Parts: sequence; C-alpha cells; structure tokens
Amino acid sequence: MAMIAAEAEPTYLDNENTIASWLLTKDHKRIALMFLASITAFFFVGGFAATLIRLHLATPNGLLQPSMYNRMFTMHGVIMVWFFLIPSIPTTLGNFLIPLMIGAHDLAFPRINLMSWYVFNLSGLVLLYALIMGGVDTGWTFYTPYSTSFSNGYVFAAALAVFVNGFSSIMTGLNFVVTIHRLRAPGMTWDRLPLFIWGIYSVSIVMLLATPVLAMDTLLLAVERFVGTGMFDPLRGGDPLLWQHMFWFYSHPAVYIMILPAMGLVSELIACYARRPIFGYSGMTIAMMAIAILSFFVWAHHMFVAGISIYSAILFSLTTFFVAVPSAIKVFNWTVSLHKGAIIFDAPMLYALGFVLLFTIGGVTGLMLATLGVDVPVHDTYFVIAHFHYIMVGATVSAFFGGVHFWWPKMTGRHYPEAWARFAAILAFAGFNLTFFPQYILGNLGMPRRYYTYPAEWQSWNLLSSAGASILAVAYALPLFYLGWSLFYGKRADPNPWRATGLEWLTPSPPPKDNFEHTPTVLIGPYSYDPESDRYTTQDGVSHA
Amino acid sequence: MNVEAKEAKSLPFIIAWLVLLILAGLSVFSAFQRLDVWAPIVEFGVAACQALIVFLLFMRLKGPPSLKWVFAGAGFFWLLFLYGLSMTDYATRRGWPTGG
Amino acid sequence: MPSATIRPETQYATLHQQGEAAQLGMWVFLATETLFFGALIFTYYLYRISYPEAIAHASEDTVLWCGSVNLALLLTSSLTMVLAINAAAQGRRGAAMALLLATIVLGFCFLGVKGYEYAADYSDKVVPAVNFTLKPGEPPASELFWIYYFVATGLHAIHVTTGLGLLLYVFWRLRQRRVTAAYYAPIEVVGLYWSFVDTVWIFLFPTIYLAGRL
Repeated sequence: MAMIAAEAEPTYLDNENTIASWLLTKDHKRIALMFLASITAFFFVGGFAATLIRLHLATPNGLLQPSMYNRMFTMHGVIMVWFFLIPSIPTTLGNFLIPLMIGAHDLAFPRINLMSWYVFNLSGLVLLYALIMGGVDTGWTFYTPYSTSFSNGYVFAAALAVFVNGFSSIMTGLNFVVTIHRLRAPGMTWDRLPLFIWGIYSVSIVMLLATPVLAMDTLLLAVERFVGTGMFDPLRGGDPLLWQHMFWFYSHPAVYIMILPAMGLVSELIACYARRPIFGYSGMTIAMMAIAILSFFVWAHHMFVAGISIYSAILFSLTTFFVAVPSAIKVFNWTVSLHKGAIIFDAPMLYALGFVLLFTIGGVTGLMLATLGVDVPVHDTYFVIAHFHYIMVGATVSAFFGGVHFWWPKMTGRHYPEAWARFAAILAFAGFNLTFFPQYILGNLGMPRRYYTYPAEWQSWNLLSSAGASILAVAYALPLFYLGWSLFYGKRADPNPWRATGLEWLTPSPPPKDNFEHTPTVLIGPYSYDPESDRYTTQDGVSHA
Repeated sequence: MNVEAKEAKSLPFIIAWLVLLILAGLSVFSAFQRLDVWAPIVEFGVAACQALIVFLLFMRLKGPPSLKWVFAGAGFFWLLFLYGLSMTDYATRRGWPTGG
Repeated sequence: MPSATIRPETQYATLHQQGEAAQLGMWVFLATETLFFGALIFTYYLYRISYPEAIAHASEDTVLWCGSVNLALLLTSSLTMVLAINAAAQGRRGAAMALLLATIVLGFCFLGVKGYEYAADYSDKVVPAVNFTLKPGEPPASELFWIYYFVATGLHAIHVTTGLGLLLYVFWRLRQRRVTAAYYAPIEVVGLYWSFVDTVWIFLFPTIYLAGRL
C-alpha cells in the first residue's frame, strides 16, 4: 500500500486516454486544450483569408474578382472576431488557469463548460457552411439594409452562426463569474487575486451584459433576411441605424472583450520577468473594471458619419475620451513596473513588451479617431484598419502568444525551445509593424477600407504592407512547429520553471486531474518578487531563493 | 420577512398572487381610460410592480446567497444604458421618424 | 437512506455551496435574458414613440382575452411553483409533486391559448411576410408592430417550452428522490427560471395588448 501511495498521481493528460474520455470530459484543463485546438484551426482559416487579401492588394489590379475580395474580407473579419479573438484568451488560458490560480478543483459548472465547446464548434460549422456555399459579402458588421435586402450571399447562415456563437460566450462568461465568486481557496480574497483573474472577471461581465443584445439584433436580422420583414427597412418605417446601435452596443465592448484578458495576462508576465511586484495593483484592478463599464458608453463613435444626430455624436465622442484614462493608467503602471526590475528577456516577456508598445500606439490613434472632427475624414479608411489591428492583433494576439508560451510548461509538462520562441516573438513584432504601420499612412492619404483596388501611386505602401504580412504569417506559423516538436522532445518542466508566485505553480506540471492534492491556503497577494535579493514568495506564503 | 423555503408558510404567497391578479386587472382597465401619453407609463409601471413582487417574493431575491440581487439588477440597470444612450440619437436626429 | 447518496461534485466542499453556486449561476443567466428581451422591448418602445398611431392601430387587432387569460395562467403557475419549492424544502414530497404537476398543466394551458391566438392572428391576416394586409386607413408602419409581436411571443413560447422541459426533469428527479429536503437546489433553480419567464410575459403583456383599446 505504501508503494502505491508514493507513486505520483496521474496527470490530467495521462489519466484515461480514450477518445470518449476527451470528448465527454468535465476537466477544465482538457476543455481548455480542446478550445485551443478549435481556435487555432479558425485562426489559420481567418489567416488564410488575410493572406489572400494582402496578396490581392499587393498590386492595384489584384488577383481576386471584386465579389470574391468582398467575401474574403468578410470571412476574415467574422472568423477572427467571433471565432478567434473573443474566445482566444478566456476559453483557453482562462479555462485552464482560473481554477488553478484561485485554488479550486474545477470550474463551477463543468458540464456547461463542455457544452460551451460543443456550441462553439457547432456555430463554427454553421459559419463554414455559409462560407463553402458561397460566402458573405457584407463585411463582419452586416450593415442593414444591404445585408437584409440586397446582399448576394449566405447572410442568414452567417448571422445564425454569430447568434449560436453567443451562447458559447455566455456559458463561458457565466461559468467564470460564478467560479471566481464562489470557489476561491481560503485566504484568496479579492485583493489577492492575480490580475489575470481580474482581467477574466471583468471580461466575463462584459460578455454577459453585451452578448444578449447582439443575439437579439442578429436574430431580428436573420428573421428579416429569411422571411422579409421590415424591422430595419427604411421603406417600411424601420430604422437601419437601429441595427447599428444594437450591433455596436455589443461590438464596441467586444473590443474590450479581446483586450481585457490580455491586459491581465501581460501583468502576470511583466511582474514575473521583471522580478518585481506590479506597480499599483489596486489601480490596475480599478482600471480594468472601469474599462469594462465605460466600454458600454461609447458605441456610437462607430456611427459618426452614419447619419446619427450630431448632438448624440458629440456626447459619444466625449465618453470615448474617458476610456483613455484607465487605459493610460495601465500603460503607466506596466512601464513603472519595469523600473529597477531585473528584467529577463525571455520569449513571453518579449511578447509582453510588444503588447505594451503596440497597445499604446493603437490606443493613441484611437483617441484621434474619437475626435469628431478627425473621424469624419478618416472614417472607413485604412487609418481605422491600422488602429484596430494594433489593438486586436498587435496587443491581443501578442499577449495570447506570450501567455501560451509562459504556461506551456504547465499545460504540457514540457519546455518550449527558447531560442526559436524569441526569434518568433521578434519576427512577429517586426512583421506586424511592417504590415500595419503603412496602413496608417495609407489611411491618412485617404485609401478607403473594403475597396478591392486603389490608385497606382499608393502601391509602394501597399506592397510594404503585404511584405510585412508575409513575415507575420511566418512568425505566427512558427510556434505551431516548435511547440509541436516540444510536445515530444522538449525538456521536462518542473512545477515552477519561471520561479513565479501564483498558485498554479504549486502543483506539478502538468497538474493532476483534480488540480491540487490539498486545497491550498493563500496567505499573501500575488507578485511577491524581490529584484534585489532575487527571492520570491509564492501565494501560500513560502519564500524561495 | 423571512422567505426561506424551509420555514415558509403558504399564505403570504397566496396574498401576493391575489395582488398580482388585481394589478393585472388594473392594467387592462387602464387601457380603456383616457390616459393619452400616460397610458404606456402607467401600464409599464403596473408591470414593474408585478415584476418586483415576483422577484422579491416568488424568486426570493432578498435571501442568500447575498450577491444575487446585484446580478439580477445588473441586467435591468444595463438596459438603461442601451435605452438612454440610444435615445440621445433618436430624440435629436433630424429626419426621424421617417414617416413609414 | 436515499438522501445519503447525494454528494457534492469535486469542486465543491458542501452541497450547500453547490446549491448556492447553482442559484447564482441562474441569476447571472437571467441577467443575460433580461438584456435579451430588453433589447427587443427597446425596438417596441422606439417604434411606439415614433409611430404612435400605427402601433395603436395594430395593437387593437390583438386578441386581448387571450393575452389576459395567459397572464393569469402564468401568474398562477408562479404561485404553484413557489409552493412546490417550499413543499420540497420542507420534505413534503407528495405535495411538491402535485404542485409541480399543476405548474406543468398551467404551462401547457398557456401554450394552448397561445396556439389558438396564433390561429386567430392568421385568419386576421396580420402575419408579416405571410399574409400581412393593411386594414383600411391603417399606416404601413403597423407592420413593425406585428414583427415585434411574433418575435416576442415566439421567443417567449420557446422559453415556456424550455421551462416545461425543465419542470418535467425536476418532477422526474423528485420521483427518484434525487431532490430532497437536504438538497433541493434543482427545483429552486428551475423555479427561478420559470418565474422569470412569467416576468417576461408581465412586461410583454402591456406592450402587445393594451395600446389603442379606446
């Protein structure tokens, strides 16, 4: 008996390994890996569309038919927004880490968690059906009355996919909120929660409060498209802008759904690799909650030139400026956190630093767009495209890659090859800026978005952007290979390879099925790093050299 | 008032049900009165009262776990943002309503 | 000792904690439902403010008695529901099952009246995209009301049907003694959903049936 007890508990990966044990699992760690597989697949489908767009725009005459070009940018937008960016960090790293970080044995509702994955894939299949049957040409915003009355595409199926996708978001958000409220380990008070948990908490709130409005909106759109009712049809007294109001009531907060978990995640990385506590912890938490709430007051800044009332536009312009305050607080705090730190430039840190820089550029240009007078000329130009790609891709995707590398040893029990990872991180940063900075210039010159052609004098900037995109594509594909390689040949990882302070590092890598043998007791807040003595204290109060 | 299911008596709930039915009757009655612009406000007010009774008594909003009233309220509170901020546009937009 | 077989799931320390988490989860879900229906009701009030005459014209053609009877049915079913929860919590299993059955019957009656009303609407030629025809002197924007009517009542009927499924499930669990005085969270949570569906109808009722009655 003693011998059996001495043997290590099987990890969550080894513990039963039949197909059914994965497909019917209630283990949040396995579901996280299943989500990782799903969203990676969608990332490359959406990336394929992006590749075609950039190839097409390398020359003014392009290689796609105009109608095909429209379908490509729509497919790129819909997939990247709903099937990659929104679920990216919450469903994978969030799913994996929430119970581990707060000292719980699983999420509150494991069955709902699994159902969320199935619903997500179901909605993905509906979308793929729409794409294979001939695609959609409305852009990811489905603006009425074009989408309801004129579009020649599978709008109904795409809207249905977005509707069903919302259920997955809501199930995940609901699960996270209840888990964080009810399943924290003894001593894990709100002011001791890692900032990543705060990021996930705030994003779950936004998901829960915004998604239902989009669901109703897309439902009305689908009904109108399918049977020809007139809710958004101006000929019958309906208001096409009503679609936009309800759409952006969701879709502006959706931008914060993408960025909030990334903000939390990057705080973890910066503290660990600068070896010092994050500056202004409570300011960071307040800023995240403030961004979550303010995100609901700004939506009509997407509609300044759509025909809304000028008074309303002024109001929304003003509220948009308010969001800059908590965002700036965060950037300041990350920067100060680096001051006098003992910075280690490992791959996750490179991604985190890239995040801060690109988020700042994206944020500042966002302020320019919030200014009513500036927005009118640059609205619907490449300036807008560059702005939101700096936030969604530059910031969010960087953070996502950084997080996947940082917790890779915890998820798989293997180290990734550091040199390759650093190379990919730097390549991604270079490729990203080369792709999207020229688009700021193009936008400033007046190149409109969603046009399949442009005057010949803009070709050099477009060519530069396309060249950058090819570098970016390599940088995003590389991890697929070396991370895949590391699954089999990577160095075995210790429980705490980065000498980090969170509860997730107290359990073996990879963790056993129930996460912790004994529920840990939390004595201190996160980020007890000391750059002087190079000691750190994990959240259970144990100090390490 | 203790509304815990373990010790709950039936009578308060039956009284509440009667009040709900009376309010429903009141609502229908009001539809046949000359209230002009007040009609939707009165009808909505009656509905809100009914909903409050259902939430507080039938759904035990006040009981444990303590945070549930925050969640219950959040949905209604957030609707104010949708209604209020959208109306800043509709109330001042030129050319609205279109006439249909 | 059937109640001894109910154990909390691994992530919970006690059944009490599990029950409270389930309740919170349902309330969070109901907040999303509030926003879902609230967004729809927004379209109604927007168009009612914008086209008061057209909406009043259309609203007058709804079948008032159907809506009122249905309101009474659902309010009553909320009463039987909460009494069923109380009975289950107090270990009066037979009473809980009888009251739950009453709730289920009232729910089916609601759907029956609703079905009758839809048939009446169809023969009144008010179904948009199917047989909608403007009555003499009616402004065209009244069609907007009927879109709202069918989307709102259709979604509500789907919710009632879901609720009936959940009620039948809880009834079955009560029968199997898997819902007991020691652990009655399932019936409590389903009750929350059911009363919420009732509340939705409370708010839909004045928007659909009461305008233009004078």
